[in-house]
Amino acid sequence: MIMTPGLRKIALTVHVASSVGSLGAVAGFLALAVAGLTSKDLQIVHAAYPAMELTAWFVIVPLVLASLLTGIVQSLGTPWGLFRHYWVLAKLLLNILVTIVLLLQLELIGYLADVSPETILSSADLRGLRMSPVIHATGGLLVLLVPVALSLYKPRGLTRYGWRKQHEGPTAPQR
Amino acid sequence: MADPPPYPGAPRWVKISGIIAIILVLLVIAALFTGVGGPHGPGRHMPSSSVSEPSMQQP
Repeated sequence: MIMTPGLRKIALTVHVASSVGSLGAVAGFLALAVAGLTSKDLQIVHAAYPAMELTAWFVIVPLVLASLLTGIVQSLGTPWGLFRHYWVLAKLLLNILVTIVLLLQLELIGYLADVSPETILSSADLRGLRMSPVIHATGGLLVLLVPVALSLYKPRGLTRYGWRKQHEGPTAPQR
Repeated sequence: MADPPPYPGAPRWVKISGIIAIILVLLVIAALFTGVGGPHGPGRHMPSSSVSEPSMQQP
């Protein structure tokens, strides 16, 4: 089903806002994770992990899910399709990867938010767990940059399915 | 109706990205299995004996 131009603009606006918003939210999360890992200040550690939990649950998860859903709607509702172009397929796979890793990280983030700051600062065992959000947020930030770049550059390349559809149906979308 | 032209194959950027993705996946798997990436799985958040819970903490 092809969306009307007006609906398409609205869907695109929501998709761009949620995608770029998730990038900014993960950057903010990373700043908190680094502060929680490196600071010796009890108050900063005490504030960082609960703030990370709130940011993850109420900002990053909704934005990443919105980005994934609006991306699917956007591709299915336009001539681009979901499986016709490699760049759209790559965006889909990366967004699914980010969503899975994010959902798996929520348990750890919740655990760190529940542990007292004194324990966090004194325990060597928890240092590895405190590293985890920093590593995953850094990786997530780099991975989330790729779909943004793909959306802007739209590199050429039809999948086998897209090639078949292009030669049996209407012309490809305008770049 | 004429037959469609043969599929030209995936472009070079897809092949290079695919190879990089496979290498990264293998590195992540290697890190998980060698323990470099730290404990993963459902039990990783369980504190060890050297970690005290907040309620059990010494002053």
